[in-house]
Amino acid sequence: MHVGKKVRAVVHVTQSDGEITTGKSTDEHQLIVKGLPHVSLMSYVEVIGIAESDQSIRAETWTNFGNTFDAQSYNQVCQLANGEFKGLFL
Amino acid sequence: MAVNLTPNAIAAIIAGDVNSKPLVQILDIKLIAAAAQPKERYRLLLSDAVSSQHAMLATQLSDRVKSGQVRKGSVVQLIDYICTSSQNRKIIVVLNMETIIRECEIIGNPKSLVEFDSTAQKPLPNGSLDHSTRVSNNRFNAQNPGQSVQSFPPTVQPPYQPPPNYRNHGPMLKNDAPARIIPITALNPYQGRWAIKARVTAKGDMRRYNNARGDGKVFSFDLLDSDGGEIRVTCFNAVVDRFYDAIEIGKVYLISKGSLKPAQKNFNHLKNEWEIFLETTSTVELCPEEDGSIPRQQFSFRPISEIENAENNSILDVIGIVISVNPSVPIMRKNGMETQRRILNLKDGSGKSVELTLWGEFCNREGQKLKEMIDSGSFPVLAVKAGKVNDFNGKSIGSISSTQLFIDPDFPEARGLRNWFDRGGKNVASVSISREIMPGGSKNEIRKTVSQIKDEGLGRSDKPDWVTVKATISFIKTDTFCYTACPLMIGDRQCNKKVTKSGNMWTCDRCNQEFEECDYRYLLQAQIQDHTGLTWVTAFQESGEEILGCSAKELYLLKYEEQDDDKFGGIIRSRLFNQYLFRLKIKEEMYGDEQRVKITIVKADNVNHSSESRYMLDLISKFSR
Repeated sequence: MHVGKKVRAVVHVTQSDGEITTGKSTDEHQLIVKGLPHVSLMSYVEVIGIAESDQSIRAETWTNFGNTFDAQSYNQVCQLANGEFKGLFL
Repeated sequence: MAVNLTPNAIAAIIAGDVNSKPLVQILDIKLIAAAAQPKERYRLLLSDAVSSQHAMLATQLSDRVKSGQVRKGSVVQLIDYICTSSQNRKIIVVLNMETIIRECEIIGNPKSLVEFDSTAQKPLPNGSLDHSTRVSNNRFNAQNPGQSVQSFPPTVQPPYQPPPNYRNHGPMLKNDAPARIIPITALNPYQGRWAIKARVTAKGDMRRYNNARGDGKVFSFDLLDSDGGEIRVTCFNAVVDRFYDAIEIGKVYLISKGSLKPAQKNFNHLKNEWEIFLETTSTVELCPEEDGSIPRQQFSFRPISEIENAENNSILDVIGIVISVNPSVPIMRKNGMETQRRILNLKDGSGKSVELTLWGEFCNREGQKLKEMIDSGSFPVLAVKAGKVNDFNGKSIGSISSTQLFIDPDFPEARGLRNWFDRGGKNVASVSISREIMPGGSKNEIRKTVSQIKDEGLGRSDKPDWVTVKATISFIKTDTFCYTACPLMIGDRQCNKKVTKSGNMWTCDRCNQEFEECDYRYLLQAQIQDHTGLTWVTAFQESGEEILGCSAKELYLLKYEEQDDDKFGGIIRSRLFNQYLFRLKIKEEMYGDEQRVKITIVKADNVNHSSESRYMLDLISKFSR
């Protein structure tokens, strides 16, 4: 849906081997992030970049949120921001 | 159903045999409601298939009739019973029995046992009577086994009847026979002769009084026996002189010939409907040998969760695991004497924890021992007898002079607690009942915005409103941010009244004392702001410390003694624009001749962003579309 556009997502890192970082999105889907340095497993990273497919992002900016993150609340905000309150954000 | 009741059981009991635990049948049950009695009593008609006799059922067994465990026709085994004489009539009292068969047809053809008096009895010498006894026995035995009991002759001569020559004469005079020791729970005014053997668990002071009938003195003591029964004993006037010195706490006494009256529930908190009043004819005998069967103390532990609802100043027992021990601090009492205070926290399986305040010697003895145990990593069990409930800050328990503490005692409750704790209870979070200042508890938070306080007219009713507001500190008044407070203790609270300096010394008008050092306590005026508006609030000591992050004394010294305005200003500025979840108490008060709404910060909590997010998401979901 947003392929080719700049997106922002928080990924729960499950694999990190230099070029490719694999993780779980806050709604339990697998995401691939390219261009991240090595990140410790199980940490939450916010990635901002271009969506290359509906399952991968090429990272431009990133922030490590550490190990404690309320993924469920974040996910609900995403749903609201893309759903009924879209007008507030875009 | 062929059941054999104990032959001649009734006659045996009448004759004085109270040890054979016979099997009898209940032919009838009647509820006796006598004017003088607070509780209803049941009268049973007992039968051994041949004879029947009335018996009174001890009130502690009344429930068995009410529940139907014991009914007409029930076959029961008498376990504990006595037979006393009253005006030439025998009265059997059943203190304990077991229902063997709940429903049964009437066995035999019992007839009321005729009382044999001396004239009717043939004056046989002992030997003949025994012979006839043996003969009678054989006769009964021959007919007993296996056969229907219907074949018994209808009237029976009781074989155990003592020879009439010995009735009321001779060395076996009934009056001199030692009264049987009965359990305290069996005591009742219809008892006739009784004796109890019990340990003194508490002894009251002698009190003098003056009423319409003149002067008098009284004292009471509490007894505990080996069955756990407790009763209070009271002595008046001359009886006080007889027994006051003889009674010592912890010793065991044999007591007899007192009168039983209803207990005065206002003063007597023991679990007994009766109280013993000793007279000049009463006997109190010290039992010198230690009786291990009588416990030293009786506890009735309450779970900590129940203490939350206990009345202020009530006395109770509690048992819990000590999870923390604070250092002993010297506290100045109102009379100028210094004492020690130590605060501990107890936790139990109810999910709640409570603060226990130890005073005086308890701090140095048990308090110190508990601290050493905690420091070495163990969490001891502590049993408290007679702690006093205090409701100043939530509910807490304080020690009083009659409090007793037991560390790691060998009680089943202690063992149960230990098991619970070691197997995971340790990690269960407990909510302290000693911290809530506001009613309703922390789960009933009402969330408001700043503008709602004014718009909804909060604080205008006769009770204060307690609300939670998420807001930011936008201003703190610094010209007066604290006051000089009295550090003396009144009971277990600090006085805190504003004190004035005269010369070198500070004076407190309430305590009427002078001292060199005063305490400094916050009295902040601040502004809080949220997206809807701003308002002025007051913060006292506890919330002041939360907002400023340091003690009032530190800031005071910084500003007035070191006069470091830069550092002072720096600290204040750093505390501005922090967001908190404020617990506010809102109440309208008279200021001069106008009503003003006063808002006090009772607590300033840091915002937990995760739970706050969830709260807001929940609010969003409730928007009406």
